[in-house]
Amino acid sequence: MTSPLLLLLSVPVLLIGAALSLALRANRASAMVSVSTQAVATALVLTSIAPVLGGFGPVEVVWPWSAPIESIAFRVDALGAFFLSWSLPMTLLGTVYATAYLKPYFAKGRHGGPHFALLNTLSVSFVIIYSVQNALVFLLGWEIAAISAWLLIIWDYQNQKVRFAGFNYLVSTHLGLFILAAAFMLLNSKTGAMDFRSFGQFLSQPSRDRGTLFLLLGVSFGLKSAFFPFHTWLPRAHSAAPSHVSALLSGVVSTAAGLFGFLRFTLFMERPDEWMGWIVLTFGALSAFFGVLFTTTQRDMKRLLAYSSTENVGIAAIGFGVGYLGWTWGIPALAMAGFAGGLLHLLNHALFKCLLFYGAGSVYHATHTVDIERLGGLAKRLPRTALLFLVGALAISALPPFNGFISELIIYSGLLSGRAPSAQRNIVLIAAAATLAFVGAVSALSMTRAFGLTFLGNAREPERHVAEEEPAAMLGPMALHAFGVIALGIAPGVGIGLLRAVLDLFPFAPGTRPILEPLMPAVWASRAVGVGLLVACVLGWLRGIKARRSVTWGCGYTAPSPRMQYTGSSFAEQFARIFESFLPVLRRDKLPVGPFPQQAGHVGTHHADPVERRMFEVLGQGEDLVTRASDRISEQPRFAFAAGLVTLVVIGVLTYGASQ
Amino acid sequence: MMLDRIGNVAALVVMPFLVAGVINRVKSLWSGRKGPPILQLVFDVVRLLRKSSVYSTTTTPVFRIAPYVLLLTALGSATIVPLLGSDPLVSFPFDFVGLAYVWGLGRVATMLAALDTGSSFEGMGAAREATFSTLLEPALFLIVGALCLLSGTHTLHEALTPHLDSGPAVVVWAAAIVALTIVLQVETSRMPVDDPSTHLELTMVHEVMVLDHSGPDLAAIQVGSAIKVFVGSAILATLLNPWAGSHTLRAAGVNLGLCLVVAVVIGTVESLIARLKLRTVPQYIVVALSSGVIALLAAAWRVGGSP
Repeated sequence: MTSPLLLLLSVPVLLIGAALSLALRANRASAMVSVSTQAVATALVLTSIAPVLGGFGPVEVVWPWSAPIESIAFRVDALGAFFLSWSLPMTLLGTVYATAYLKPYFAKGRHGGPHFALLNTLSVSFVIIYSVQNALVFLLGWEIAAISAWLLIIWDYQNQKVRFAGFNYLVSTHLGLFILAAAFMLLNSKTGAMDFRSFGQFLSQPSRDRGTLFLLLGVSFGLKSAFFPFHTWLPRAHSAAPSHVSALLSGVVSTAAGLFGFLRFTLFMERPDEWMGWIVLTFGALSAFFGVLFTTTQRDMKRLLAYSSTENVGIAAIGFGVGYLGWTWGIPALAMAGFAGGLLHLLNHALFKCLLFYGAGSVYHATHTVDIERLGGLAKRLPRTALLFLVGALAISALPPFNGFISELIIYSGLLSGRAPSAQRNIVLIAAAATLAFVGAVSALSMTRAFGLTFLGNAREPERHVAEEEPAAMLGPMALHAFGVIALGIAPGVGIGLLRAVLDLFPFAPGTRPILEPLMPAVWASRAVGVGLLVACVLGWLRGIKARRSVTWGCGYTAPSPRMQYTGSSFAEQFARIFESFLPVLRRDKLPVGPFPQQAGHVGTHHADPVERRMFEVLGQGEDLVTRASDRISEQPRFAFAAGLVTLVVIGVLTYGASQ
Repeated sequence: MMLDRIGNVAALVVMPFLVAGVINRVKSLWSGRKGPPILQLVFDVVRLLRKSSVYSTTTTPVFRIAPYVLLLTALGSATIVPLLGSDPLVSFPFDFVGLAYVWGLGRVATMLAALDTGSSFEGMGAAREATFSTLLEPALFLIVGALCLLSGTHTLHEALTPHLDSGPAVVVWAAAIVALTIVLQVETSRMPVDDPSTHLELTMVHEVMVLDHSGPDLAAIQVGSAIKVFVGSAILATLLNPWAGSHTLRAAGVNLGLCLVVAVVIGTVESLIARLKLRTVPQYIVVALSSGVIALLAAAWRVGGSP
């Protein structure tokens, strides 16, 4: 038991930092204050949670408070500590990145104080969410995170599109909040308390209400983590926000906090029901499948990365689904593989996703666009950014020797273990493994497309100005993330070490259990791949010395132009056609007429989010339907009578049900 | 054990060249030619190694690294596969996941090198390769998953030697042969998916991606591709080999012989069948996927309620 004072001290430090950066007029000073207070807060938090992760029990304190909260309990157990251990440092890195990324705006006279203050309050919200044990205060932290993120997204608020994206995010996140509040109200009505301890006692035993609560919490946290089909706010918000905000939102705020909330309530259960496991697994597989499908056709690099977040939370949820199932079937090894793989994948995702968003930000910084159809050949102009982006791209495609491979391997080891109690269940798990394989291959396709078209080949718009500077404040955070990606790939024991105390919280099979040990040979194989990759790099480098240079062979054509290169749309075309039903294409064309056309034709294709389109369609038609129905009712008194009767019966049933 | 390892390494050194030579010889015989010597690939490689490479001014180091990534990943995958029908050089739980992803790494490297040249032909090849692989990977996992479920193991070489003691087991085995044949054809760019000897860039898949490579780099790609063909045929051979799993000379000999039979089949198919239209290739790969599903259902039937 350690004192949580250091942890809670970080809150005033961060708030003072926020106030100061608001008050200071000079942008440099605001940035300095924000970075330094976050550094201090990170140091405080890390010192206080280190023993928790080391397995020395949770940190807790209870403060008496006035009504309606009565007392606030802060309790950082291993789960909260695991999320805190990387959320705060990554936010700090994001703030460092922001100082360089926002410089062009500062040069135009924009004041960055509020932005840095909001980054500080984001960190405050992490400390609250990951430590508090009271539902009302939890909601408060949740709301601080949501509002801070919203205001961070609309940095470029003069742009109407950005404002719309921000509003879209605000509405979605509050829909999630309402559902979460509903879940808490239901829990409060059952327990008469607002603290998580009483909630936990209620949730530990199976009941009908527990099922309802599971669904409510699942939907709420699913909205936060942008699970399919609740993901529609995500691509809009991510393409509108500044890159460091997209990075934090994707890696640290929404995905991590949402799944943290889900796991927080999962841990209260003594043993979940089997259907819960199947639901988590199904939603995970659906999110991974659709998320990755949507990445293939995006032109906007940041939208692509946003969809990939939906994919990656799906992969983590597949892991959690396996964990749930292993737990209900009483197979600790399976449960361990599932939860360890899922949690490690969350950390890995935060590492490579932030890296990729920072890379996209550097591209935007240099070229003022993230449209991959307009880029090309950037590896020669921004070589260091290209290298770091490549590391992230390989890692997110789960290729060895990087970290994504390890977490997916652990999940595979659960799915393909063949340990499920019946053959039918086993084949469902194997089918999920095949889905994961599909997701990996498609992810490789879209990351090859994103990296290849942006950084390789020739510039598609040679006249576009490319600022060939890579500021240290942008490269530094990227390099640290890339280091993490490689380190967790080569030495996954470090990541598992962070998780060991978390896994001890789960009520199945206490004591030390092997998680990575059976997979150690595979890890060694992945390390061997790393050595092979290094050898290939050395060989390739040696080949480049004093090599003869010429032009690319044009297959007989001698006047190629950069515009003739393969484009992003053409790269994805064949794939998109196979999955046409999920990737509807909007085509706008004016084709040339006759043998000697007088006017030039044009063809434009655009892939809109099918879920969002359908949603708007249903909303539009739905209003129509209701209007039509109500028109009919007013004309015919019989219908009005019937409708009134039905309403009365419904109200009666509801009142009766509520009194039970 | 030592002898096993030496045998595996020896097979890995000799067989890729032999398999490639046999395929070409069979194709020559079908078309009524005498054909190049069986070990023509060796002469090609030696010739290419003595040359120097020319690099496009568009390219970056990615282009120069990729051929060696392809070669090394092919070599790496060969260590996991039972080349002689019994123990491979390296075996560990879930090694087939490693196999799939190591092949994936080689594929990504080749695709990036293709995009690096800025040529639209090469981009086209890369896009096709990427599209086909997305359908192929789940098929591979379904099949290996079914074989694992049937044999109750987690390693590739054990999964490839199932006990054919009942009807469903035979169904799994047959479906696995169908699916793995398609995997072999797609992964190693053979007919009817891709025509390695075509001269029209528009219709190529793998060949068009390596148009710009020359000298030792091209040699690395050719050897890497030959190793992949051998690895794929060794997987099929182990599945077909009735003595697979035993450490006898007979098992090893039969396995290598079956590899050459697979090579003859590849050559024959390539001589008698035209390449599929690119639009229909995905449908062909879906055959592998559905065989995977069939195998999985049959495996579940065989295993029944008890794990």
